[in-house]
Amino acid sequence: MIHSNVQTSKNNSIQLDDSRPFAVRRFALMLVMSGITIVMLVVLHITVGTLDFTPRQIVLALLNQAEDVVHRQVVFGLRLPRALVALVAGGMLGLAGAILQTITRNPLAEPGLMGVSSGAVLAIVLYIVFDAGGSIWDSADSGLILPFVGMVGGLIAGLTVYLLSYQRGSDPMRLVLVGVLIGGINTALISVVLLAAQDEDVQRIVRWTVGSTSGRVWVHWHTIWPIALAAIPLGLFSMSLANILQLGDSVALGLGLAIERTRFLLLCIAALLTAGAVAVVGGVGFIGLIGPHMARLMVGNDVRRLFPLSIVLTAILLIISDIVARTITIGWVGLITGLDIPDTAGLPVGAVTALLGAPFFLYLLLRGRSAL
Amino acid sequence: MSSSTMPISQQSNDQSFQQPAHIRRVVLVGLLFLLVLCSTGILALMIGITAIAPGEVLTILFTDGGERVSRIVIWEVRLPRFLLGALAGAAMAVSGAMLQDALKNILAEPGLLGVSTGASLVVAVIVIFNVAVPFGTLPIFALIGGLGAGMVILFATRLTRDPVRMILIGAALGALFGALITVVVVLGSPDEIRVLYAFLVGSLIGRDWQDVQLVLPWIAVALPIAFFFGRPLNLLQLGDDMAEGLGLPVFRTRLIIFLVAISLNAAIVAVCGPIGFVALIAPHMVRGLLKTTDARQVLPISALLGAVLLTISDLLAREIFSPAELPVGLVTVAIGSPIALFLLRRLLAQR
Repeated sequence: MIHSNVQTSKNNSIQLDDSRPFAVRRFALMLVMSGITIVMLVVLHITVGTLDFTPRQIVLALLNQAEDVVHRQVVFGLRLPRALVALVAGGMLGLAGAILQTITRNPLAEPGLMGVSSGAVLAIVLYIVFDAGGSIWDSADSGLILPFVGMVGGLIAGLTVYLLSYQRGSDPMRLVLVGVLIGGINTALISVVLLAAQDEDVQRIVRWTVGSTSGRVWVHWHTIWPIALAAIPLGLFSMSLANILQLGDSVALGLGLAIERTRFLLLCIAALLTAGAVAVVGGVGFIGLIGPHMARLMVGNDVRRLFPLSIVLTAILLIISDIVARTITIGWVGLITGLDIPDTAGLPVGAVTALLGAPFFLYLLLRGRSAL
Repeated sequence: MSSSTMPISQQSNDQSFQQPAHIRRVVLVGLLFLLVLCSTGILALMIGITAIAPGEVLTILFTDGGERVSRIVIWEVRLPRFLLGALAGAAMAVSGAMLQDALKNILAEPGLLGVSTGASLVVAVIVIFNVAVPFGTLPIFALIGGLGAGMVILFATRLTRDPVRMILIGAALGALFGALITVVVVLGSPDEIRVLYAFLVGSLIGRDWQDVQLVLPWIAVALPIAFFFGRPLNLLQLGDDMAEGLGLPVFRTRLIIFLVAISLNAAIVAVCGPIGFVALIAPHMVRGLLKTTDARQVLPISALLGAVLLTISDLLAREIFSPAELPVGLVTVAIGSPIALFLLRRLLAQR
């Protein structure tokens, strides 16, 4: 952000510091506001659940001053890690989506379309069904093994897509479409694996394919933060490269950018982010598409503002979706429509984001030619 | 007949000159496929846990004779499944051929455009929420879902003419419907989920006469109608501007073509699930074999080849891991994906 300030004020060096371009000032404001929103949402997220807490009790519990030891256990042991995992996973997916949209220069590109998510989910599902049977759910290190397996699967899928689409250079559009095909294969395989699964595994597997944050505790947090810490700064450091790349191949080449290497680097970062997030929360869809679009509406196409804001906004989106997922009960839909819908209080968060996807997709279509 | 596609009389003379040889090739290829289909049929009736000799198969089919168990196996299990496979393959292939020409897009097929997924979503809702639908109306409901997706695609033709972007829109649409399907699936019990997933890959396992009955009227109506669209499809191949210039109401024609193609597809999806890639591959193979893109010839031959491809795939699905059966959709995905990849390269090279 500071970097971008310097850049722009250099361009109009006559102007005083106060008259920085509107977009830059607004960007700073937005980051601050988003930060405040995130803190509030995390507290709200922790409030929600079967046990009712007042915000005061939560703050006290977080500060290790809880009146009741149960409060501390629930808040600190169960709810805080879940909120943090959702936050970080959202941020990672948001950055991955922003990177993909930038290098493909297509508004429909999103992490789920690249084949990486479905590859990660497939690996996890395979592991659950074949290697470990039902036992891993009881073992303490399931929070470590599954994400690791997922990461490997996601990266293998991503690499396959890249290699298959490489043909005298990489065409980002080809990459996305190959990703779609590989994703289709992965999905078919997931379905088949599911047919062989034990009854008690089936619903868990489905929750992985939809994406869910339930039951994510500190083990998961300890898996996801190192990946995030490695990949998010990488993404942010390569912002200026991405900025050049989005001008189109010929312009970027003219400006002296090593196109293939840069694109490969950015794709690797996007794949790493996606695989890392999906390996911990499952195949949450569409927020990696929506978040960056919202960010773009607010700060425009300059990647140096777009990437950071995408991270923050997508994290907010996932937290809100998770709050919604934890609070809504959908039995009333059944009452109205007469369908036999079970009244479950705990929808997986991926279900909520998928429902967000529908109106958003329509919006993209209706925005017309420029959007597509 | 030839003058209708070739407005310039000189060319039509040339073509009428070539016509007989060409027609002969079409008939020959058609007969060949029919023969393959019949032999696949015999094979599909013979092979299985109870192997039945070819002679006995024929006896059972055409007379009242044969062993009782074998009779039941053939008449109640294998024959309906084979017939359904043939019908499904034919319908899928024709629907794919129509969509490819109507959108002028070599990768167009109901699966990649999200149409099958739209139809599946409705079926998923019906299965998981135990909606009581009268027997025989399931294809209608599937059609609603398929048309929903189809209308978005149709609308998108006004936004972009780039075939690659069109496929991406279809893929995004498919991803959206797929996500909504998983939302529905999450609410199901393990048993329902397993039934649904077997369905979502596309499968012919356990299908019987009832299923054949369900799709037969749709295909009996929609398939012949589809064959009448050869000429408009040929015009659409020339591009929207040219077709419009030649007096074709492009948008309206495309709408009707979509309706027919999606009906064919939806009926199959309602019963067998979204079996992928047959719709994509068969028309391309036919165009290659006949060395023509004339839809009037491609459509009927595609129907035959689609039937051949799907029944052979189902035979493989039954036998590869026998006695365990694979859903046929997995086999078509395995065969179809590399071909789709190849077509994708060609499509991008065209850009």
